[in-house]
Amino acid sequence: MIRLALRNLFQNKIRLVISVGGVALALLLILALDAVFTGVERRITAYIDYSGADIWVSQADVRNMHMASSSLPDSVARRVKYVPGVASVTPILYLTNNVVVGDERNLAYIIGLPENAELGGPWSISSGRNLPGEGEAIINRNVAEKSGIALGDEVEILGEEFEVIGLSEGTASLVNSVAFISMKDFEELRGSYDTVSFLLVKVNDGESPEAVAARIQAQVRDVTVQTRNGFAAQERQVVKDMSTDVITIMNLIGFLIGLAVMALTVYTSTLSRRREYGMLKALGARNINLYLTVLAQAILSVILGFLFGLAITLLMTMVVPIFGSNLTLEVSRISLLKVGSVSLVIAALSAMIPIRQIAGLDPAMVFRGR
Amino acid sequence: MSLARRNLFQDKTRLLLSIGGVALAVMLILILKGFLSGVNRQITSYLDRSPGSIVVAEEDVVNLLGTTSLLPDGVAQKSESIRGVDEAIPILSQFIILDLHEKKQPAYMIGYDPKQGGGPWELSAGREPRSKREIVFDRVLADRHDLKLGDEVEVLGKDFTIVGLSNGTTSWMTSYFFIRKQDAEKLLLNPGATSFLLLTTSDGANQDDILRRLNNLSGVNALTKRQMAANDLKLFAKVFSAPLKLMVGIAFLVGTMIVGLIIYTATVERQREYGVIKAIGGKNRFLYQVVLTQALFASLAGALLGVLLANSAAQWIMSARPQFLIVFDPADGGQALLAGLGMALIASIFPTRVVANLAPAEVFRK
Repeated sequence: MIRLALRNLFQNKIRLVISVGGVALALLLILALDAVFTGVERRITAYIDYSGADIWVSQADVRNMHMASSSLPDSVARRVKYVPGVASVTPILYLTNNVVVGDERNLAYIIGLPENAELGGPWSISSGRNLPGEGEAIINRNVAEKSGIALGDEVEILGEEFEVIGLSEGTASLVNSVAFISMKDFEELRGSYDTVSFLLVKVNDGESPEAVAARIQAQVRDVTVQTRNGFAAQERQVVKDMSTDVITIMNLIGFLIGLAVMALTVYTSTLSRRREYGMLKALGARNINLYLTVLAQAILSVILGFLFGLAITLLMTMVVPIFGSNLTLEVSRISLLKVGSVSLVIAALSAMIPIRQIAGLDPAMVFRGR
Repeated sequence: MSLARRNLFQDKTRLLLSIGGVALAVMLILILKGFLSGVNRQITSYLDRSPGSIVVAEEDVVNLLGTTSLLPDGVAQKSESIRGVDEAIPILSQFIILDLHEKKQPAYMIGYDPKQGGGPWELSAGREPRSKREIVFDRVLADRHDLKLGDEVEVLGKDFTIVGLSNGTTSWMTSYFFIRKQDAEKLLLNPGATSFLLLTTSDGANQDDILRRLNNLSGVNALTKRQMAANDLKLFAKVFSAPLKLMVGIAFLVGTMIVGLIIYTATVERQREYGVIKAIGGKNRFLYQVVLTQALFASLAGALLGVLLANSAAQWIMSARPQFLIVFDPADGGQALLAGLGMALIASIFPTRVVANLAPAEVFRK
């Protein structure tokens, strides 16, 4: 049965390539969209993940960084510092603005870092320094390359010119990049002298971030305290909740296209083997065996299509960033599981029309020469 | 022609499957395009409908959405003193992530003075906020979360009572909500803060002159609302265009594969007949025409069906998920047919090669 299915499948190579390619592309629609959103999800939390902070303190009820603003009085930093278990507190200022080079505007998280900031600075520097002084900025390397900016050149941030003294890696997503300036410059340009946006907290060795976070929450008023992982999870949730409906619609269309391609392939292939199936029936083969052959053929095609689709997606995850795009694709296990299951459903459904054909096949047909 | 038609129509199930496959691919392309057009329309809805023709933002800020703007003190008075400016309407705006029924919902908060304007432009129910902690909520978002007039919504830890529901203020990404400016200042812990000024000008006023004078003020950037709307579109196009192009490209390839498969199969099945035609002096060109006609028919029929399907699917999506706006341009139909044509041409490459390489003697050897 499997051998017959394999022979049916591999006898005509061009048909095999077209059908496997068609299914692969349909599944690629689902895989690629999932990969885009997973990539956005991961990149959007990069700053939080690599900030070095165990705990993030923000304005009461501000649980996100992206598309949000947080404002805390200066005094909160001192109060947090005295909470048992806290090793260090780094305040940062934050807003979303542009890194401007000529006519080019690049949306960015602008981070104001205090002098000798222990936490919250760039985590990977491809060239230059890693902490900005007054009048200095660190911007993302991709953004710099795209805009033709090198170390020592000037960019405009918050309406002022800054000298680029460092280029950072891993700080750009599809949506925005991260640019670092000194807290002093940030304060002067925004007039935000007595407030900070977030407090980045490092806990003492051996202390659990969850326990210290609970302590800060209990002892300091009007703040929201989250562990790094908790804060990052909130950020990911925004992307997830925003994308659920889009992904569902696209998945449904991808599923239908995959189904059409697969149904067409299995149907065409069964049709061209009609005489052979008739012969098998005439020789006493039971319908169930023939059904299973068709099903096996569909499943094999879909498995090949799935593997091919996955290979293209993985290739895209490597190729897309090379073209200077900030679009990052990442394949998640959940996505693989989902697309794998969808593939099997496609295989089962696409075998239905050919199975009906075989069921109605007259064994005598073969002797009539039809 | 008749040979092409016979080849195609001999197996109706196969033809239907192939037309269906192309139709789905074309539908996907159209839905993606329509979705982007809808998002674009939704993105600029506030700028399109709010009062005034000029926006004053913080220096270096050219977008309403995406960036934070905070104007220096006294800009409103200075702007109003410029000849030709009728009124400077202040708003304090900020993206806020609402937690509604365990779901994160990004929303764009507009803090405004109901006496001056800049709030919702169409209310489906209720009224504008008059007193402390009252909110006009987007109708679609309210429906999705079963919120009604009189219900409470938590914004940055403070409960607001819904006193009005607004129309035309939604999108799949974010919805607008409106509160009094004083409440917004308290929420953002920034008393007296203003993000943008919406300027109305008197009839016959020279807009360029007003913009020039405004831009002479320290710490501000003045631009027309139309320019700001274009900047917002550009900003979001940057985010959406790459994934969208990727999906459209894949959909096009899928459609091409489907047509390719059907035409290839039909050609291989008729190999003997083509051989006979060649043996009796039929030219390759004639056979190419037969193959191409089949491909064109399957592709264009699929593209037409795709246009119809896209319209029905768009209606269904918008009724099931009102936050999505799918807008079709009249040119989209033509582009779908062009896509179909492209699919047909590419899909014919393999089958024409099969025909070209066919030896006329083949038919006599079998």
